[in-house]
Parts: sequence; C-alpha cells; structure tokens
Amino acid sequence: MKKVNIISILSATLLLVAHSLLATDIQYIEAMQKNIHVVYTAQSMAELQEAVNALQRIGAAEKNKWEPHYYASFGYIMMASREQDGAKKDSYLDQAMAGIEKAKTINGNDSEVVALEGFVQMMRITVDPGTRGPQYSGLAMQTFGKASAMNPDNPRALVLKAQMQFGTSKFFGSPATDACETLDLAVTKFEASASTNPLAPQWGREMATALQHECN
Amino acid sequence: MKILLTMLSVFVFSSSVCQVTISGRVTDGQGEPVPGTNVFLKDTYDGASSLGDGSFEFITTAVGKADLIAKFIGYRDFVQPVLLDAQRIVVEIRLEETISELKAVTITAGAFTANDASRRTIFKAADIASTAGATADIAGALNTLPGTQKVGESGRLFVRGGDSNEARTFIDGMVVLDAYNTTAPNTPSRGRFLPFMFKGTSFSTGGYSAEYGQALSSALVLDSKDKAESTRTDIGILSVGGDVAHTQAWDRGSVAGKIQYTNIRPYFGLINQEIDWKTPPESTEAVGVFRQQVGKDGLFKFYGNFNHSNFSLYHHDINDNGVKQLYDLTNNYRYLNGSYISSINEKWSVHGGLSYSYIQNNTQIEFDNILESEKGIHAKTVFEGSLSVRVELKTGIEVMQRNYAKSIYFNADSTYSHWFNELIAAGFAEVYIYASNKFVVRIGTRLEYCNLTGKAGVDPRGSLAYKTGATSQVSFAYGKFRQSAKHNLVSINQALDAEKADHLILNYQRVENNRTFRVETYYKRYEDLVKYENGNPLLLTNTGKGFARGVELFWRDNHSIKNVDYWFSYSFLDTKREYLDFPHRATPAFATAHNLSFVYKHFVPSIRSQVGFTYSYTTGRPFNDPNTASFNKGKTPYYADLSVNVAYLPRQFLILYVSCTNVLGRDNIFGYEYSTTTDGTGAYRRRAIRQAAPRFLFLGIFITLSKDKSVNQLPSL
Repeated sequence: MKKVNIISILSATLLLVAHSLLATDIQYIEAMQKNIHVVYTAQSMAELQEAVNALQRIGAAEKNKWEPHYYASFGYIMMASREQDGAKKDSYLDQAMAGIEKAKTINGNDSEVVALEGFVQMMRITVDPGTRGPQYSGLAMQTFGKASAMNPDNPRALVLKAQMQFGTSKFFGSPATDACETLDLAVTKFEASASTNPLAPQWGREMATALQHECN
Repeated sequence: MKILLTMLSVFVFSSSVCQVTISGRVTDGQGEPVPGTNVFLKDTYDGASSLGDGSFEFITTAVGKADLIAKFIGYRDFVQPVLLDAQRIVVEIRLEETISELKAVTITAGAFTANDASRRTIFKAADIASTAGATADIAGALNTLPGTQKVGESGRLFVRGGDSNEARTFIDGMVVLDAYNTTAPNTPSRGRFLPFMFKGTSFSTGGYSAEYGQALSSALVLDSKDKAESTRTDIGILSVGGDVAHTQAWDRGSVAGKIQYTNIRPYFGLINQEIDWKTPPESTEAVGVFRQQVGKDGLFKFYGNFNHSNFSLYHHDINDNGVKQLYDLTNNYRYLNGSYISSINEKWSVHGGLSYSYIQNNTQIEFDNILESEKGIHAKTVFEGSLSVRVELKTGIEVMQRNYAKSIYFNADSTYSHWFNELIAAGFAEVYIYASNKFVVRIGTRLEYCNLTGKAGVDPRGSLAYKTGATSQVSFAYGKFRQSAKHNLVSINQALDAEKADHLILNYQRVENNRTFRVETYYKRYEDLVKYENGNPLLLTNTGKGFARGVELFWRDNHSIKNVDYWFSYSFLDTKREYLDFPHRATPAFATAHNLSFVYKHFVPSIRSQVGFTYSYTTGRPFNDPNTASFNKGKTPYYADLSVNVAYLPRQFLILYVSCTNVLGRDNIFGYEYSTTTDGTGAYRRRAIRQAAPRFLFLGIFITLSKDKSVNQLPSL
C-alpha cells in the first residue's frame, strides 16, 4: 500500500505540475493569440490601444516572455502609422522602442526584434522626411541588414528593406531593380517560413503582396 | 488513490472559485477622463482599458491582497493595494501628470534651440547647412535669426549690440577660444567648426543658464554627434579645394578622420578682387573624431582640430595708392576636446570634459614682426538630477585657464612684449521647479573667482515660462553676466576687472502645425566696460558703460506650402555705449537699427533638388568721420544681399552643390577707413570698406562611398 501511495503521490504531483504548467502555457498562448489578432486587424486607435494594454499586462506578469513586448511595440508602430501629429507619432514610437528594449533584454538580440527596431527607425522618417530622411534612412537600412545577417530567413527584415528601397528609387526616379530583388527574396522566405513557436511573427505578407504590384 | 483524487479535485475546483469585479473611473488632475488607461492587477492578466468616459471594469479570480496599477503615457503610474474580499470593488483613479519632455513648457526667452532629435525645435541643426548665403557656416546661418546684426566684413556673430567677442562658443559644454578662422582685415571669417559635426545647437541671445560663464552677450552651445552608425568615405571636390573623410564604425564606437585643403588662388584668378593679394589664403586642416560607448549608457567623445593657414597681401595707403605695405599672416590652430557623459543612477547623471585651445599668429607688417599666442584650458564637471518629481538640480564646477603672450619686434632691433596668465575658477547651481507642465521656474547662481583681480563675483540668474494656451507661451529671463576683457586689453592692464552685463528679456511664442511665431523684447545694461583713459590706449580702466534694447520678430512656416520652408526675422536695436576710444556714449560701428532676413527653401522632387534663397537687409552702419566734430555720426548706405543655392542629387551617393552670394551684385559698403594724416587740403581722406568681391560663387561635388548606397552627404550640406 505504502508503495502505491508514494507512486500515486509522485505521479499526482507530476501530473499537477505538468497540468498547471500546461494550463499557464495554454492560457498565455491563448491570451497572446487573441491580442495579436487584434493588433493585426484593428480598425481604430482605441482597439489598438486596448490590445497594446492587454499585451503589456501579459508582459508585466510573464517576466520571461519576449513576445508580449514585441507585439505591444508592433501595436504602437501601427498606432504611429495612423497618427497625423508628429509629436504624438514620436511618443508612440518611443513606447515602441521601450518595448523593443525589454524584448531584447529577455531574448537577446533576436532577428525579429532587430527588424522591428528598423521599422521604428523607418517610421521616424515620416515625422519630418526632409530633416530625418537622410539620417534615418541610412540607419533603418543598416538595421534591416543587421536583422538579415542574424537570420537570413527572416522575411520581415527583407520586406521592410524592400519598402525602403522602393522609397529611394521613387525619390531618385531610378528603376526599382534592387527593391524588386529584395522583395522576391522576401516572398520566397515568406513561403518557406515555418516556426515551432505558435506566437512567431506572421505579419508582412500583405505588405509584400502590395509591393509586388510595383514590380509587375 | 484517495489522496490523488483529493488533490485533483482541489486543483479542478480551485479554478472556479469566487470572482471579483473591479470597476471605477480614471481621471486626471482636472477631473477630465483619461481614456485608454491600462488598469490591471499586478502580476496577473486581469485588467482593462478605460473607455471614452474614463470608466473601466474587469473581473478577476485573484484572491487576497493585490496591487491595482493604472498606466498611461504622460502620467505617473498609479498603484493602490486592494483587498479582494467583496464581489464588487470600486476604485476611483486619479492620475498625476508627469513632467514630460514632450508636454512640459520650456524656457524660450533668448533661446533658439536646435536639436534634430527633439520635436519642438524651431531651428534645426540641418537648417544651418541648407541656408542660402551661409555656405554651411554656423554663424552665417544664425545671422538670419532675430537678435543678430549682420556685420558683412567680419562674418562673426554680433548679438544685441554686443561686440563679436561677447558671443562665446561651447562644444559639448567646453569653451572654445577663437571659434573663427583667421582672415585678412575686413574680410569675413568662417567658423572653424562645420555644422554637420553637431546633432544640436542652442543659440542663446541672452538670459542663458548659469552653466555658461565668460560670455557677456550670447552663448552658442553646440552638441557634437554621438557614435557614427556606418562606415563610409566622403570625398568633396570644391571650387576652392577638396576634402577626404573616412568614418569607421563598430558596435560600440566609431572613429573618423578628415583632411581638407583650401586654396582660393584659382578662384581669385578668375574673379576680380578688391584686395591686392600677394598669396591668397591657403589652409590645411586635419580633424579627428573618436567615440566610445562605455558601460551601460556612458559615452566618451574626443574631437581634435588642427589647422595651418597663411596669406599675404598689400595694404595700400589711403592718401597715396602707390605706397603699399606688406601684411603677411601665418596662423596655427589646435583645438582638443574630450568629454564624458554617464548616468550615476536612475535619477542622477554626470558629464564633464577637458578642452584645450591653442592659437598662434605670426604677422609680418613690412619690417615689423608680431608674434602672438593664446592658450586655454577648460575643465568642467556637472551633475544633473532630480531632487523630487518636480524639482531638478544642475550643479558643477569649472576651471578656465588662459595664457596670452604678444611680442612685437620692431624692425628686428627693438622688442616689446605683453603677457598674462589668467585663472578663473567657478561653480554654479541651478534648480528647475516645475509647478506643472504649464509653469516652470529656473533659478541659478554662478560664483566666479579670477586670480588676476583677486576678486570673486556672484551672478544670479533666473527665468520662468508659462503656457498661456495649448500652443502658446510667455517666457521671462533675468541674469547677470560677466566676461574678462579681451586678451589684448588684459595684457596691457592685468588688473582690469571683468566686463559686466544685466539681461532682461520677455518673450512670447506660439508654435502650431509647424508654424512658429515669436516676439521678444529686451533690455541689456553694460557696466565696467574697458575704456581708454584720456584716449590713451595704454591707460585702461573699467569706467565704460552702455545699454542695448530692442524688439524682435520671427515667423517660420514649413506647413502652408508643400515642400516649402521659409522664415522671416526682424530685429530692431537701439544701443549706445562708451568704451575703448569713444569720447562719449555713441552707437558702435557694428550696430544697425534694423535687421531683416528672409530665408526660403524649396524642395523640388521632380528634379530632386533643393533650391533656396536668402535675402538680408540692414540699415546703414555708423562710422566716424574725423573731418567732423561729432563722433560716430556718419551712416553708410543700407546693406542688402540676395544669395541663392541649389543642391542636386542625381544619384543617392552623389550631390552637386552650387551657391552664389549677392547675385544682384550690390556694392555693399561696411564702413570707411580714414587716413591717419591729413592731405594737402587739410582733410582726412577716406576709403570705403567693401566686399572683397561682389559675389562669391561656390561649386562642390560630394561623393559618399559606403556599403549601402542610401547614405549621402546631404545632411552635411
């Protein structure tokens, strides 16, 4: 009997631990997926702010997860892209950068996080293209290059880089050969992309599809 | 098995116990709702965002004691412990505004702050390079702002009735002795420091912080750029020379070097010049820059500038043009600046630095030789931090040492020398008190001791700013300022006291949709100015006095017309002083009553070019005619200049740049030189001081080689 007891206690404990671990993991993933979906599809600033808030709550509770900070930052970038006022745009981008810094301390210098940082730099240009263009365009290109060097299969680093290249080729009235080459590579990487992480970033395909029209 | 079952049942039931509903409303200090606030229980997912009316509601399964947190951009985090013992808990949340850089009012009296990173700047570092007529010269561009007087034959900054030496330049907080290139008499000089080295400039025409001493009228504070981001090589081919620069960047640091050679000879061969050059100005310059990030957020900066220049010309006698005198000048210049900035903890940071300036002039006037050298060392440490949420303190100490020597060898047989060794020790403290984001007061004081006079002086300074509306504000500044007399004067009388000034400034500013309107009025009182006793330049006293007062307007708009940015400045100045050889109070020759500038920049995307022009106008300048009994009562004709520039980008890495000053070719007269002796008719003859050439045409090709081709030198133009 005693033997059985010990075994049953042991197995029960194991089961419990596994269950609760799994339960929190499932809870985490579900909560994340719900909010990531909102960030990807939100139609209004209020919706975005709400999702970002929820992501930040998860981030504050889950001390070892980088994804909540990553997506909160992405949400702030989306808010910045909808904002017209330069100062407010900058304050959203500041928030995005704060999230990126947190994600970096948890996950090290991850290619996805670095690509997002480049996205912030790219968005900074839109506040004052005349003054910031020369400085931030170089900086953003470099950051995308850094993200690609860390993971050549990261399609987002490539599609953002293609976007920058389109901008410059338009400005100089030169053919978009470079941009289209980068874009083709991005599309290939999107098709091949597969991750075991259910929360891995998925965005950027639509951006690539939209840009493809410029190459055809 | 029983145990297993019990444990499982406990687990299962534990997740469906009591629920608590937390609700309430989030408001700000004025009772207005704050929508979008993130309200949640610490370390749980449970929370909600406040709605349009500030209300929130969420359900939690947490039990016992918990911390309720509310967060929103621009407000301090709200934390309140709650006991989750009832089904429904109502919490009223009142958020307190943070004093944020974005929202807080800034002191604008006397200050034109330019910083590309900051959002509220009304004058950007990049503006300096792209202002037509300035040809990428810092002083040239600042001369289009209110508060400055255009003094065409000098090229230096003259601020609010002050002499050019009253406007001091600081790089990363460290003083620069002689920030201008050496030039021939009555030819404009350029600043030694190129605008694209800096990420921010703060140009103050009065009432500045107690951190800046030894500046009587103006402080130009330049912040050099941080670590370079990319490795690149820049090549510039100019109509007057060329330069090559290379930047090597790595993860936590960067190093850059630049060599520049300028020779105006080919240009002067093409265009007729007023000056009888023997050897036109030629200069070789080397610049080195090093940046290293240290620790978590520390940054070490080093900058070095080495310049060698020379020229020679013939000075023709006013009475007899055939009689000429050789004037030959060789200048050696070195400036080294090392600075360090780091945070000590979350609340405090420290920055400090050491700068060294060395200037040597070797002048040959016919058979006389003048050897002049000035050395300066400046060391400074400043601590900055917050005493509380609403009170910030800045305090520091500094030492400025200045060594000057001048020897004149008359005809190589007799010598005459002056020298001095001055040491100034100073300390300052300044507090910023934020009553709210709308109202700030800055109070500071500066204590200075000078070894030559053995005197210590206290200079109190204070200013305040109040937001009168969402986009408008009023600002006021008062302060006492002192500066040691010019080196050539102190070398004659080492006991000379510092010259002093009081500033009183009132400013109104409105910034809306990239449009800025500014109006400022001021009164400045000068005391202890150096004066020649009985007109004798070797008998110097501190009995001079003076005043300056004026009204200035500024309007800038880069919103109304697409791709167009323009600004307009107007300054009215009324100033009189009694100093140096002035027999009584009079308006000095550099002061003009009305100064006007209009700067226009248009980016034309279809031709990928920036086209710009600058129009400047000033009323006539006083001059002294020794043929009349009155002093400084003459008036030159008005000054006007229309300058244009075009920057064209055919390729990402290539820029073509053309600029021309005074395209209309107006013959501007800056003043008159009178002969020291009378001619046959008993009159003093005069000669007009004119522009060296009617126009200055500048052509440049700038090439940037880098790994990614998107980098170009546009920011440096």
